[in-house]
Amino acid sequence: MMPDPVLELRGLNKSFGALTATSNLSLTVMPGEIHALIGPNGAGKTTLIQQIYGALKPDSGQVFLNGRDLTGLSVPERVRAGIGRSFQISNVLMDFTVLENGMIAEAARRGQSFRFLRPAFSDSNLIKGASAILDRVGLLDRAHLPVGDLAHGDRRMLELALALAASPSLLLLDEPMAGAGPDEGQRMTEIIEALRGTVAILLIEHDMDAVFRLADRLTVLVEGSVIAAGTVAEISQNQAVKSAYLGDED
Amino acid sequence: MTGLFHFANLVRAGIRDNQLLWMLVAGFALFPLFTHFADLPFWNDVAMRIMLLGVAAMGLNLVLGYGGMVSFGHAAFIGIGAYCVGISQFFGLSNGLFHILLSIGVCGALGLVIGYLALRTTGIYFIMITLAFAQMLFFLFVSLEQFGGDDGMSIDRADFLIIDLYEPLRLYFLIWVALALVALLLMFIVRSRFGVTLRAIKSNEPRIEAMGLVPLHFKITSYVISSPDIMHWTRSGEIMIIIILGGLGTLAGPLLGAIVFLLLEEFLPLALGAVAPAYAENWMILFGPLLIMVVLFGRGGLIGLLDKAGFARIGKRKMAVK
Repeated sequence: MMPDPVLELRGLNKSFGALTATSNLSLTVMPGEIHALIGPNGAGKTTLIQQIYGALKPDSGQVFLNGRDLTGLSVPERVRAGIGRSFQISNVLMDFTVLENGMIAEAARRGQSFRFLRPAFSDSNLIKGASAILDRVGLLDRAHLPVGDLAHGDRRMLELALALAASPSLLLLDEPMAGAGPDEGQRMTEIIEALRGTVAILLIEHDMDAVFRLADRLTVLVEGSVIAAGTVAEISQNQAVKSAYLGDED
Repeated sequence: MTGLFHFANLVRAGIRDNQLLWMLVAGFALFPLFTHFADLPFWNDVAMRIMLLGVAAMGLNLVLGYGGMVSFGHAAFIGIGAYCVGISQFFGLSNGLFHILLSIGVCGALGLVIGYLALRTTGIYFIMITLAFAQMLFFLFVSLEQFGGDDGMSIDRADFLIIDLYEPLRLYFLIWVALALVALLLMFIVRSRFGVTLRAIKSNEPRIEAMGLVPLHFKITSYVISSPDIMHWTRSGEIMIIIILGGLGTLAGPLLGAIVFLLLEEFLPLALGAVAPAYAENWMILFGPLLIMVVLFGRGGLIGLLDKAGFARIGKRKMAVK
């Protein structure tokens, strides 16, 4: 028997005026799998992520996480329900150090952000939790650097660490390799690879080498619709995908 | 001597924000001693006004400096507090402790309502809405003829527990205690989990949402905390200038700003009067450009200037970059 999916989208529709960004879209992400969402620019990948995350409201259709209907919930409610996210443009707390970033996330995870008296940044429990978060992405040795002094790739790592801090059941990664050099891209690929099996991941990525290496399953999106879905081997043999998307690269 | 030596070392290492704050607070505790021996009792009044504006500025700084919300309506809260006292005196209630609790309660409740409505907007819209609320309250109270209307309302010094506030120094030290309490409270809040999250919201709101927190809840809370602190919007502007002058988002900045602001207000007319007596009344001509210069060159107000000169250290950012 198949396990229940972590994420299930049922008949999502979203249009902006005459432009259809998401068209009757259904999709499942299974526990522990890395599911890549690919498609040409303007296919509606980020729009779809935004609807799963709650930043955009679908015109119709439903979003289920672990069987729970999230459709009416706000972003923070969905995060607490178990969705973690990295953004297309790296999104970390610039005015703080790497460790402080981790500590603020750790305080949020513990539901302690509304405490007023004890100093936050000298709390040993928060330091411990934040260090564990940073260790997962190999940033522990740069913990005391201000985020502004981090290399681009390290900021992406930090963002991934912050998204992982709350132990989400689903991780939405929107182009994690974007703007990264070859080494940084390689490091990011290895870290995502290491997450396989621990958290379900929905990945948008243009770097096809990374996608083929990481993805357990692929969904191909064109003009807001799924034109193909399956394993890497199935998709690479699919004629419709070749002409609509991969064919573009020849 | 050792104290002096210690102080010199402190200056060499760079005074930290919170150290500067407590030096200033301690200074206000000792100030009456100085005025007593120098026989300058008038300056006690100036110091009291500085402390009062300092407390208001420290409150607004939580919202403006740490939370990044430009609220033009904060004078309304001082006004509401004053009217709480005035109106309860009008009805024969003269207990000072009751006045304080009533003011805090009413201002907190108003802060919650105004904050809840205004914080749904950001940027210039937020400024306009807070300003609109402040002006509404201003005209509401001005229209209440029985409470003084346009002429305002005069407040008697209340009986505060067993302390007779007609004794000038007792009022001075009551204000000083309020100043010290607010300073202590803010120091704790700013470093707490709540405080750092509020600063993080100012830095990057979407990231805080991505941590599963609702930024609005933190903003409203900071607004309510800061509100229990003269009604017209120019007073709000003045408090804002004091904060920017001293140093936005620092602990000592608002108090330092209040000191310099009120001293300039006292001394500039005198100085100008000595040079050009005919223009003494127009001291604001100098005041304006002076403020603008501090803001332009200071980038972080007076604390920023001290920092640049190597006398102060704001936060640990400077240490982190080795």
